[in-house]
Amino acid sequence: MSTVLAGYGLVKKYGSTTALAGVDVEVRGRDSLAIMGPSGSGKSTLLHTLAGIIRPDGGQVLLRGERLDNLGENRLSALRRKRFGFVFQFGQLLPELPAEENVALPLMLEGMARRQAVVRARRWFAPLGLDGLEQRRPGQLSGGQAQRVAIARALAVEPDVVFADEPTGALDQRTSTEVIQLLTSATRDTGAALVMVTHDADVAAHCDRVLQVRDGRISNYSQFTVA
Amino acid sequence: MRSPVLPLTWHLTRSSGRRGLQSHLLAAGAAAVGAFVMLVIIAATLGAGTRADHTTWRTPDAVPAKQATAVQALATTYVRHEPVTVVSLAQLSGRKQTPAPPGLSSFPKQGEVYVSPALAELLHKLPANQLAGRFPKVKSYGTIGTAGLASPDELVAVVGRTPTDPAVSKAAGDTSSWFDMAQMERAEISGFGGDTASMFTAGDQGIAVLGVVLLAMPVVVLSAAAGRLGAARREQRLAALRLAGATPRQIIAMTALEAVALGAAGALTGALTYVASLPALAQVPFGVGTWYVDTLWVGSPWLATVVAAVTALITVSAVSMLRQVATSPLGVAQQANPRRTRMIRLAFFAAALAVIFMFSGGGLQAEQAVALLLLFYGAFWLFGPWVVDRLGRLVSRFAKRPATLLAGRRLSDDPRGAWRTVSGLVLAGFAAGFFAVSLLGADTSQYRGQVAVTTGHAFEARHTAAEARTLLHRAGVTATVTTGPTDAYDNLLGGGSGVIAHVEGGQEQLDTAVTALTPLGAGRFPYGQDYAGGSDKATFDRLDAVTIGTLALSFLVAATSAGLTAAANVLDRRRVYGLLRLAGTPLKVLDRARVRETVIPLVVLAGGTTAMGAYGSYQLNKAAGATINTSGAIELVVCVVVGALAMFAAISGSRPLLRKVTADPAQTAD
Repeated sequence: MSTVLAGYGLVKKYGSTTALAGVDVEVRGRDSLAIMGPSGSGKSTLLHTLAGIIRPDGGQVLLRGERLDNLGENRLSALRRKRFGFVFQFGQLLPELPAEENVALPLMLEGMARRQAVVRARRWFAPLGLDGLEQRRPGQLSGGQAQRVAIARALAVEPDVVFADEPTGALDQRTSTEVIQLLTSATRDTGAALVMVTHDADVAAHCDRVLQVRDGRISNYSQFTVA
Repeated sequence: MRSPVLPLTWHLTRSSGRRGLQSHLLAAGAAAVGAFVMLVIIAATLGAGTRADHTTWRTPDAVPAKQATAVQALATTYVRHEPVTVVSLAQLSGRKQTPAPPGLSSFPKQGEVYVSPALAELLHKLPANQLAGRFPKVKSYGTIGTAGLASPDELVAVVGRTPTDPAVSKAAGDTSSWFDMAQMERAEISGFGGDTASMFTAGDQGIAVLGVVLLAMPVVVLSAAAGRLGAARREQRLAALRLAGATPRQIIAMTALEAVALGAAGALTGALTYVASLPALAQVPFGVGTWYVDTLWVGSPWLATVVAAVTALITVSAVSMLRQVATSPLGVAQQANPRRTRMIRLAFFAAALAVIFMFSGGGLQAEQAVALLLLFYGAFWLFGPWVVDRLGRLVSRFAKRPATLLAGRRLSDDPRGAWRTVSGLVLAGFAAGFFAVSLLGADTSQYRGQVAVTTGHAFEARHTAAEARTLLHRAGVTATVTTGPTDAYDNLLGGGSGVIAHVEGGQEQLDTAVTALTPLGAGRFPYGQDYAGGSDKATFDRLDAVTIGTLALSFLVAATSAGLTAAANVLDRRRVYGLLRLAGTPLKVLDRARVRETVIPLVVLAGGTTAMGAYGSYQLNKAAGATINTSGAIELVVCVVVGALAMFAAISGSRPLLRKVTADPAQTAD
């Protein structure tokens, strides 16, 4: 598999604090990468930099060989919408929209007709164990169900990369395992790469590779063989 | 042990940062606007009552002939379309001295003429043959003091006469035509203790109450929005303080204390602004004209009541919001269940309308009318959220674009919240739509250019007509004079005997004709179209002014409410907005959804009721054979357009806040 997303020599500073001090990362298609590290180590900054949310002070971010760290805000925003999917810890679903419309929203933002977007969104419900929950609103879903809807929304646009920031941080152990299994398998099945920040070593163990970040540098790199 | 609530609240309020300060200032500003608007409208209501009280002396307070000490006659003449109230007084010989009327130092002697300052100015400004000639010739006029006047602009004259003068004779009290009602009266009196207010002020207070009723709810909504403003920040504080060991009671006490301080500071600012702007407010004409400053002073008890009420509303709103958070923080953040409305609201509304229709047949007591109005208000208040809910469902069903879908879903998700923002305008819009274009009442356009002079008997008319021709010719007025047929009731004489002069030229010629023909009236002033339509004009002009004024103030209050609610919503939903932005959702989509969330119900409901009111009025006018009030309709359109733009601007005002809370979502070193 060729490299989908890469960051080379990434540097990011907040005042006198160095969040990233020259990090190199490469992510291939169907690859899943967990970023771990203690609080303040720079792991979320690395994820946001790779996702084009934060502009690095130094280095380059490349998506399929195309630089994105020097793109304008509008183009970056469009790129995040079309080619990336996002899963956060909680609170990313619009509370007033039913689950299927939350999933269809990114498609509609891309200009797809509503009916078509909803039909396409519904396709994700059965594979993610959400059958019958299409009309439920986020407040009527459990934490695990809400995260699965978020995964469906991230994958609905058929992204190149899915970014997940502590996607199981608000879930219990059992639900956490279910959600991470779904996230990694569904991402792999679509051919997308997964970049995930987590504190949880058990969650990270579901990924192909784990990066340990400390003081803005990669301190360790491990590769698992996923069964 | 000393309670930590007060010092802790003070410390947290001081250290709440720039955003906290902005939130405090906005909440206090809303309280100030609410208190100011309420005080202004209460001042107008109380002031209208005071003004009416200042006019009661002009209508004769009849007493039995044996007790009478004087004769009083009230007459009304018009100059430049404005009414001039003329009170003729004659002391009866051999009777006790009659006390001085209000505004005069003594009872006027024969030949004395007292005039209001505004009339004195007009007498000086206009040629004598257009106005001064209607009164007895005097070397100088006395001045009527403020005690006898409702407004600095009122045109009033008091003329001292002999008891035999035609102006106070029984003929002067012969209200033979219905035009004369309340414009002319004569009786024997012993003082000025009557309680019948002048026709030009009598209805003002009732009409101002309409303004209070229409504006009360928008002010309540504004105060509630102000209380809600800091909800998101308080939610964080609640969580942090609860973790630190604070009891729920302490949290509520702190919130209440902060809300009381902000509400009171804002409401006091509003009250002070009202006091400071009294001289400017007094210059706003209503009814008979501008105001004496002291008539607009509501008094300390009202001032304190309004400040306390606004403060209480903000406090209750802040605490109730906190209680929701305390009960179920997740429930508020995620709104587990949509706040749907039930069909029972429609049924109740229909039932209320049926009751109102059944009981509003006429002959209602004031209390019954108020009860029906309150019933209508209550029914509408229940019905509104149901309509918003249905509207939201309809919009979301047919929405093609994400922003419209979001707006529609938001509407049906919290229809009460959306309704609150536009409710004031919906009700004010209906009243304004109806009254602004209404010209109900007698159509007097057929009397244009005519001046009528009544005669005691039909046989005098021919002679009077000849005299009228001579007088008009001498005054340089070109006119055709006819004797009115006594069997025709649709002319200016209303079936009475007299002559009608058809005057060529404009208003100056008409005023000259009235002045020239005054000697022929045998105590009655000649009159024209203004006199014939005086009563209806007094009512409908004021209704027009109040409804347009109310609509303008409603827009001010609603725009402030909408702006605050929009800002509060951005703060409440900043996490989901931030994450959506981060995932690439364009800011303009989120912004459009926010704007449409208010604009859709505003256009449909407030626009709909305004149009309904205007249409209803148009149909009534049509049925009555009258055209609509074009200038009123233009005022209405201007008011609606400017108001809608103000609402739009107020909602857009929170766009920088939206941009700010969704920008740089990852400013941490983690």
